[in-house]
Amino acid sequence: MGHEVVVASASGPLAAPPLVGDVLIELGLVLLVLALLGRLAQRIGISSIPLYLLGGLALGKGGVIPIRAGDNFIAVGAEIGVVLLLLLLGLEYSPEDLRDGLRSTWRAGVVDVLANALPGFAGGLILGWTPTASLLLAGITYISSSGIIARLLADMDRIGNRETPVILSLLVMEDVITAFVLPVIAVLLVGATLAQGALAAGLAIGVVLLAFYVAFRLSARVSRALHSRSRELLLLTVLGITFLVAGLADAVQVSAAVGAFLLGVTLSGQVADEVRSLLPPFRDVFGGLFFVFFGMQVDPRTLPPVLLPAIALACVGVVSKVATGYAAGALAGIGRAGRWRAGYALVPRGEFSIVIAGLGVAAGVEPQLGPFAAAYVLALAVAGPILMRAGDRRRGR
Amino acid sequence: MEIFEIKVPGIGVRYDFTTEAGDRAGIVIRRDGTRDIVIYDREDADAALGTIELSEGDAAAIAELLGGTTITVRLEQLRHDVEGLAIEWVVMPKAGGLTDQRIADGKIRTRTSASVVAVVRGDHAVPGPGPSFEFQAGDQVLVMGDADAVAEATRILTG
Repeated sequence: MGHEVVVASASGPLAAPPLVGDVLIELGLVLLVLALLGRLAQRIGISSIPLYLLGGLALGKGGVIPIRAGDNFIAVGAEIGVVLLLLLLGLEYSPEDLRDGLRSTWRAGVVDVLANALPGFAGGLILGWTPTASLLLAGITYISSSGIIARLLADMDRIGNRETPVILSLLVMEDVITAFVLPVIAVLLVGATLAQGALAAGLAIGVVLLAFYVAFRLSARVSRALHSRSRELLLLTVLGITFLVAGLADAVQVSAAVGAFLLGVTLSGQVADEVRSLLPPFRDVFGGLFFVFFGMQVDPRTLPPVLLPAIALACVGVVSKVATGYAAGALAGIGRAGRWRAGYALVPRGEFSIVIAGLGVAAGVEPQLGPFAAAYVLALAVAGPILMRAGDRRRGR
Repeated sequence: MEIFEIKVPGIGVRYDFTTEAGDRAGIVIRRDGTRDIVIYDREDADAALGTIELSEGDAAAIAELLGGTTITVRLEQLRHDVEGLAIEWVVMPKAGGLTDQRIADGKIRTRTSASVVAVVRGDHAVPGPGPSFEFQAGDQVLVMGDADAVAEATRILTG
């Protein structure tokens, strides 16, 4: 995903380097806009992701107040944001969680892939996109938003519900599958020949497998080695390792996001506990920049033509996720009401869909991909939580 | 009562049980040590009717209220596992016995074969006190051994 940065700096208005003052002023404005949007999201009780995307649309090229000088810093900040988002996602899971999740829900996981990735792939082909771009769209429609869903489950007091482990296991499953697919996509995006591509993809998957092996075998040892009582030293150590691993992963086409995710899984015990309490503020700032940056790369004028197909695909996405959740609940022996709850809970798409779309946008694989993904995620990040709450009210609670 | 353990990915572990009266409840133990008590809907067995969030301190206090500290529960389990093992909490008397004396002075170990495995004083505990540990009035002393040895050790401790 380091390509994003390169592309941005190549296309950015860098003839004369912007003054430091200008960069700071624009960065300050961007962060203040994020703060305002975050407050608004809190007020109306929705996830902040869709509002950040809208903010990015307004600030980017063709937007209301196009911002330019800060471009480069925001691009780098966005990259850091992705890495931190995925690191903390990985930290939520221990290697045992992954193993148990895969063991108990693999059947539902297969349903999940088939029901949710295929419509995206088909949709891409129908729109006349290349197979690679369609594959990216499949990833976007497939992966639910762990961030939005985990927060909603906690807010709605559903942690104790019997269907909740089913939902969470499916999310784990999606993250693991994506960790294997992203490297393949990254290779395809480079435009390698079939033989080269197969070789590179094999190598990338080998690296991911090795990383999983390390995560399982050496988790405790790595965690102990990195630990420090000083918060400052712990933070420096963990951030240093994270960026290094993410960068190296990117260099071997595994994608920085996947590297960060696997590192997060590897860290466990005390280190994980402390990093989980130290890093979220950083993630929120840089993650916010990531969503804004994605929005900024999308010209709002390109939205109207893709709006209708995106919403149509979003409707399919609602139905397919509800069906997936219902089936997963049934497989796990959950009652009827719980199956519906599991279904509605899986609808929101968010950060990971944008991460996948970001890969494609950076590689310039399909001009419609950016606006399409923005519209799709906007629709489902807003509709998902509403459906989830409506599902509760239907039961008269 | 049968208790089922269910892993909740990214959150912790949930223990489910049905009471003799037929109420279904569960306890979620989160990784950060907080615990949720969950009461399930009788109509919809999968849905939580309500959740009570407890800090680690809250949980310890409630465990105490419900009868027996967590230590006691674990000891019960140990007693169950090792046949013939006797475990006794001995409260040190105001005076006499070994109060204000060191563990070594009582020679409990050599005279009875029972061991003093822990002492709880006020709100802190001393696991495995050494021979120079000095008892104070009111200390709760945990003695372990076979039944005769523990009875004998109790006599030495309280005088």
